[in-house]
Amino acid sequence: MAARRVGVSSWYRVLSLSRRCGRCSSTNTALGKTVENSEGAQEEIVLPRRKTWDKLAVLQTLASTVKRDPTAAHYMFHDDPYLMPKNSATARLFSLSKESGRNAAKYIIKEFPHFFDKILAEPNIPSLMPEICTPQIEGVSEEALRERINLRMVKASVDLFDQLLQAGTSISLETTNSLLDLLCFYGDGESTQEKESEEKEDLEESEVNASEQETPKRPPQRGSHPFASRWRENNNAERIFKIMPERNAHSYCTMIRGMVKHGASAKAYDMYTELLNDRHKADVHTFNALITAVPFLKDRFLERWELIKMFLNHMAQQEVQPNVQTFNAVLKTLRRCGGVGRSMAVPVIKEMEALEIEPSLATYDHLLSIFYRSADLASSGIISEVLDDVEKRSFTPQDPDDAKFFISAMQVCCDLKDIKLAYRLNKAVEKGDNWKFLDMDRLNSYWSRFFSLLCMMEQIDVVLKWYKEMSPSLFYPSPKNILDFLQALDAANHLEMIPSVWEDMKQLGFSKRRDLLEEVLSLMSRDQHPEEIQLAFAKCAEDIKTVHEQSGRDQASVEWTGSALGSVTVLFSRAGRTQDAWSMMERFQQINRIPTDLVMDEFLNCAKQTNSPDEAIKLVKLAASLGLPSSQKLKSRVEKEFKLSENQKKALESIQSDSDSSDSDSDSDRD
Amino acid sequence: MAAAMAVRALRALPHIRIPALPASCSLHTTPPRLKTRAARVRVGKGDKAVTYEKAHPPHYIAHRKGWLSLHTGNLDGERCAAQRAVEDSFVRRFLHGTFPGCLADEAVLKRRSNSLLVCLLLLRRLPPSKLCFLLGYAETLLSHLYKCPVRIEAQTVPDAAVYKYL
Repeated sequence: MAARRVGVSSWYRVLSLSRRCGRCSSTNTALGKTVENSEGAQEEIVLPRRKTWDKLAVLQTLASTVKRDPTAAHYMFHDDPYLMPKNSATARLFSLSKESGRNAAKYIIKEFPHFFDKILAEPNIPSLMPEICTPQIEGVSEEALRERINLRMVKASVDLFDQLLQAGTSISLETTNSLLDLLCFYGDGESTQEKESEEKEDLEESEVNASEQETPKRPPQRGSHPFASRWRENNNAERIFKIMPERNAHSYCTMIRGMVKHGASAKAYDMYTELLNDRHKADVHTFNALITAVPFLKDRFLERWELIKMFLNHMAQQEVQPNVQTFNAVLKTLRRCGGVGRSMAVPVIKEMEALEIEPSLATYDHLLSIFYRSADLASSGIISEVLDDVEKRSFTPQDPDDAKFFISAMQVCCDLKDIKLAYRLNKAVEKGDNWKFLDMDRLNSYWSRFFSLLCMMEQIDVVLKWYKEMSPSLFYPSPKNILDFLQALDAANHLEMIPSVWEDMKQLGFSKRRDLLEEVLSLMSRDQHPEEIQLAFAKCAEDIKTVHEQSGRDQASVEWTGSALGSVTVLFSRAGRTQDAWSMMERFQQINRIPTDLVMDEFLNCAKQTNSPDEAIKLVKLAASLGLPSSQKLKSRVEKEFKLSENQKKALESIQSDSDSSDSDSDSDRD
Repeated sequence: MAAAMAVRALRALPHIRIPALPASCSLHTTPPRLKTRAARVRVGKGDKAVTYEKAHPPHYIAHRKGWLSLHTGNLDGERCAAQRAVEDSFVRRFLHGTFPGCLADEAVLKRRSNSLLVCLLLLRRLPPSKLCFLLGYAETLLSHLYKCPVRIEAQTVPDAAVYKYL
């Protein structure tokens, strides 16, 4: 390091020397100046303007030199074979457990802040210091109330408010309004609530999808609502609102937004009429909330649209500027308006463009679901226009529904079976900041759908290339993906890859899934293959056999089915493993199934190849004991094709008599 | 003379024991036990499994062993080596308690500019989701405690590597 520093300073010395020499020398043709000019005129030294670099510029440049590692899991996991997730369920589990560990640590820091508040770093790092969560100001006063509101302590602030009222002090309008804000935001519950909202939202989505297929009349107000807490009758917010001596527009607006958020849409509408009666003006967020509440107020599609138009007209009358969330709310409601929605969606977009509001990803998401939700995908071409817009820019999050866009777009591409659109969508994801909309869960389902589409539509070498690159680093294949992949291999006649797919299946933990096992076995045993492939298949079949027979400690073993057993027998026979094949045949009786003719023919072929007539006779005995009609054919085949010794011939004869009626049996006995 | 008379007078009293004032110094006939015992595992019956780290006494550091804790506090002109030592011992106790029975070997602590890297070797005693929980918890708690980014790089092994049996 020291040597380098000396070197740098000496380099500067060389530069300055050369500059001086440049001025003095007469043959400085590089500068393109003549001798007189360089000596006469002052050399203009043009200092370049100072570049300001982003704080992260160095890191970003370094990151751009490194390509994605196709063998590594997501960077949030520890790089260790035991701690690396193998399929999507474990990926989710590990990331959630790490996050819950962090939350446990944060809880401890909150509970015992006195252990963590020593300042060790210079300058102090505020994010690593414990937060002050207990109110400092004691006593009954307005400042104390405001502090508790800031600390989001719902119950404490309501109690303090009541105490203040009883004491007779008048509380300012702003403080009351901020108290109302707090209550309406948390809906009368406490601020630390369980995050059930996401799951409930998904539930609601699927219910909505189902209901949209039905007639316009929806069943009356469902109990489920995205938020865990519901608006109770005469709760604290309403009570405080009623006893307020004076109210302004803000109070009404807060109440309306709180009621809509917690499911009391009818009350919100009544509150809105009160607001109009008092000649106040609502703000844009209130209107957005009211528009989202429209589906709960009216049932018929046309009525809903009329109500939306009414709200929009009121907005225009009160001179409130709509923003992007207004239009997103309109489109979200139009999603639940069926045919009316489809006809009105495009004019809404045109309005948005006329007002020069940039659409967010949520807008496009709503558009796609309006036009592509029903089963008959009318070729509306909306998706390509949407992709045109999305490809051009890098989006910032403006609406909570933005994150759903890429997944629904990929779903639409899958439904339309258009691979080119999917490639365009991939490019759009890579542009700018758009990748931030896909977190680990969504990334998995996005790439899973993309892979299904690939298997359906593309050539096998492209599919294989993507498979090698993407799994298991970018996404973990789901069982459906594996099935699609197997079908693609089948269509392209690449069945020799099945043993490696089986290895992947074992790694992903799908080795006990019966549908996948059946598929793999039937594909392997369907046709005759060249020698090495057959041997590989037989090894794979043996593996599957051990899976079936593993009486695991905590899992029940997989039951054999007739077709699976038959396939395994056929595979063993084709590879010339007679003993294994015979042990498989014996299991047929255990599970009360009958082997098919194909199985028995293959077994005989195998026995012939390996020259084991005993096995052949055993087979005929088995067939006879099961009473199969093909036992005669088998017997004659054995007689013809095998070289039998005397004992064996006699044994074969005796089998025949077994299959006849019992009279001949007794005859032979008497003999 | 007076001392001898005093000694004799005191000896007359039966309760008091006085040490006999020696006339000459005696030699040490048994050598005192001056063995160093620092960081050494004593040889036993041969059933004690010992890792490479434990098997080598401290005079092998920089010859056969590396350091368990790497920081610049001991270089010329650098301060706060003692604070680093205290932090290290706390971190080791913390890890010993947080990962009960799962530590295969001593943790290696490296300080790189602002951050503290903890290199752990863990046994596969707990299911991986629980290990992830504990790792996330330890990272956050230690960063908040020491006001610096703490990163834990864990590696799991099926069982601790035994160097020899003592």
